[in-house]
Amino acid sequence: MTVFKYFIKIALRNKGIILSYIIVFLILSIINGNTSYNKETNFIEKKLDIGIVDNSNSELSKELVSYLKKKNNIIPTTADEKHIREQIFLGIANAVLIIPQDFENKISNKVSAIELYKDDRTPEAYQVENQINKFISFAKATYEDNRYDLSMVSNALDESIEVSLVARDEKDINENTNTWFRIYFNFSSYIILAIYISVIGFVMTDLTSKEIENRRKVSSIKFLKFNREIYLGQLAIAAFITSIFLLGSIILRGKYIGEVDFAKYVINTLVFSFAALCLVFLINNITSNKFVLSGLSTILSLGTSFISGVMVPQELLGEKVLGIAKFFPTYYFVKINEMNINSLLDVKYELSMQLLFAMAFLVVGLYLSRVKLRNQ
Amino acid sequence: MGNIFRNILYQGRNSYRDKSFIFWILLYPIIMAIFFYTAFSGIMDIDFKNIEVGIEEENSIRTVFESIDILNVNITPEKDSIDKLNKGDIEGFIDKNLNLSVKKSGINQTIIKEILDQIRQMGELNVPFEKFDFETNYVIDRNQRANSIIILFYSLIGMVSIYGVFPGIEIATTIQANLSNVAKRMNISPLRKGEFLFSGVIISLLLNIASNILLLLFITYVLKIKLLFDIGPSALLILVGNLFGITFGILLGVSNKLKLNAKIILSIAITLVLSFFSGMMNPEIKVMIDKSFPIIGKINPISIITNNLYRINLLGNTSGLDTGIYTLIGWIAVLNLISYGFLRRKTYDSI
Repeated sequence: MTVFKYFIKIALRNKGIILSYIIVFLILSIINGNTSYNKETNFIEKKLDIGIVDNSNSELSKELVSYLKKKNNIIPTTADEKHIREQIFLGIANAVLIIPQDFENKISNKVSAIELYKDDRTPEAYQVENQINKFISFAKATYEDNRYDLSMVSNALDESIEVSLVARDEKDINENTNTWFRIYFNFSSYIILAIYISVIGFVMTDLTSKEIENRRKVSSIKFLKFNREIYLGQLAIAAFITSIFLLGSIILRGKYIGEVDFAKYVINTLVFSFAALCLVFLINNITSNKFVLSGLSTILSLGTSFISGVMVPQELLGEKVLGIAKFFPTYYFVKINEMNINSLLDVKYELSMQLLFAMAFLVVGLYLSRVKLRNQ
Repeated sequence: MGNIFRNILYQGRNSYRDKSFIFWILLYPIIMAIFFYTAFSGIMDIDFKNIEVGIEEENSIRTVFESIDILNVNITPEKDSIDKLNKGDIEGFIDKNLNLSVKKSGINQTIIKEILDQIRQMGELNVPFEKFDFETNYVIDRNQRANSIIILFYSLIGMVSIYGVFPGIEIATTIQANLSNVAKRMNISPLRKGEFLFSGVIISLLLNIASNILLLLFITYVLKIKLLFDIGPSALLILVGNLFGITFGILLGVSNKLKLNAKIILSIAITLVLSFFSGMMNPEIKVMIDKSFPIIGKINPISIITNNLYRINLLGNTSGLDTGIYTLIGWIAVLNLISYGFLRRKTYDSI
């Protein structure tokens, strides 16, 4: 097992690449974890992120602020217009409102009073504007003897209708937790492909260099045995890298795996890893130039992630983009992660497509390696 | 002076003959821009889609809902409502008792609920209907487009502006006798290392800026996305970013004995991680990091360039520009000092 041993040894020399990718990935997964994991059994009103600057501090403005606080998440902001615009631009806030000093005066004179920063193209913008106008109209409707009856307004605004959540078709899945797993596994496809191509590719360039080739030819080791140990080495490294991601999900969210379809994620990741390994096999038969490999590692992993829905959901991508994405296994991998299934049969097409790609990569790779051998 | 010009010329030719230089500095940024464009062009121009609501034909509330601009009313018999909700044809169904059924919680469902709430709340307030004034809009509209996706492109420019790191590594490797044959010859010749280094910096700067301009032209005229509106401050940022990249490359080149290829891979990994933190793969990551570890955004050179570029060009905000430029200059000074420490009075007993 000399070849196998050296394969692993050289692969682990690239631990810098493996570690840097994995550390960044795990840090992001931890940051991504600050969301709720409660199961959606009731309808929950969508709370918006809004910033409020109250320059009036009047009874009316305070009541408006307290109403908006009840309905939304209040985020810190400042009266600086540049800062506010950046908060909206980046999506940190859905809206920011500035209540002027002479708020009550303006309201009683029916003058537009509140400066509202928002992106008009979004439903959130409509929602906040509606909440503000509703509160003021209600308050004005109670205006008598130079005063508003704000307790009456508050009581009325506490009224709400019942909303029922219709039963789902799919398995009983905790959607909030599922989102974390979906993002985690989608993203792992990018890292798995990038590490496979660079690490396994680099080892292969070392092991297939002319010097090693010549030494192998004069040694007693058989070509078949040499290759078998190399493939075993590739499989071992691939299994090691993939298992880090599988284990990572168990370590980070182990107690929630019962609430999602964990088996689906595991099987999908294993199938994808196999397809990725076959792709690496093909690439290694195309080039053994380290510079080309590092370029391919970045471009293929990032490129397929961008067009297959790892970075943004597939439904937001154009049809043409998805049309191209269908020529890569990542597309089918992401599609399975995005689906809620009753059994693996629901995703048999997507799983078989990944396996078919794996086979196609293998066949083309084998053909190229035969051509190379013949030329030698 | 003649020496410097000659050096610039030869080093320039050398770089252009190097395939890795052509790929990483010229082609790779353009490929990335194409990826971003194909994946995100659909998201950059979002339109407000009306909300689909299902109501029975005979429901008295139907006319009220039909008069609301953002709603599309679908006449839906109650027996079909669950099917339509499951298919996503409607986002909420209102029955004759004004109860709402939805498939999931979300902003559109909340808006429908809020409208129904309002009808009930008006009754609860118990004041004559004519006292309600829904005609006046008490809000002054300050529209600001949310377009965090475009940060990807600014981050890409930030990343390529520090791609001077590659020629930087190359210059540093070329002047060290234990790493290159040219340097061995240079060490025993009267050629001055300082001059060679200086001309290397100049040519790297020129070539990288040229590649930055090429990328910007590609994004502006081929992809038709205009990114730079305020050219002066943007160009200054990109220029300082370039200087940072080259000094960083020189440091990577002189500080260790790794092979040139390994150094290039290391620099790709570092720039990719820094770009990642500045939002190049997903702007939400930038927002998340600004919230959890704001210091990273303030010291990460690519974040400094990215943040200032979008602030200057899309928000007309130049307030952070000075601090950003000073931080980058600070980085350049520190990296130069460290590199100088590695390079000064270096002699070789044997190679």
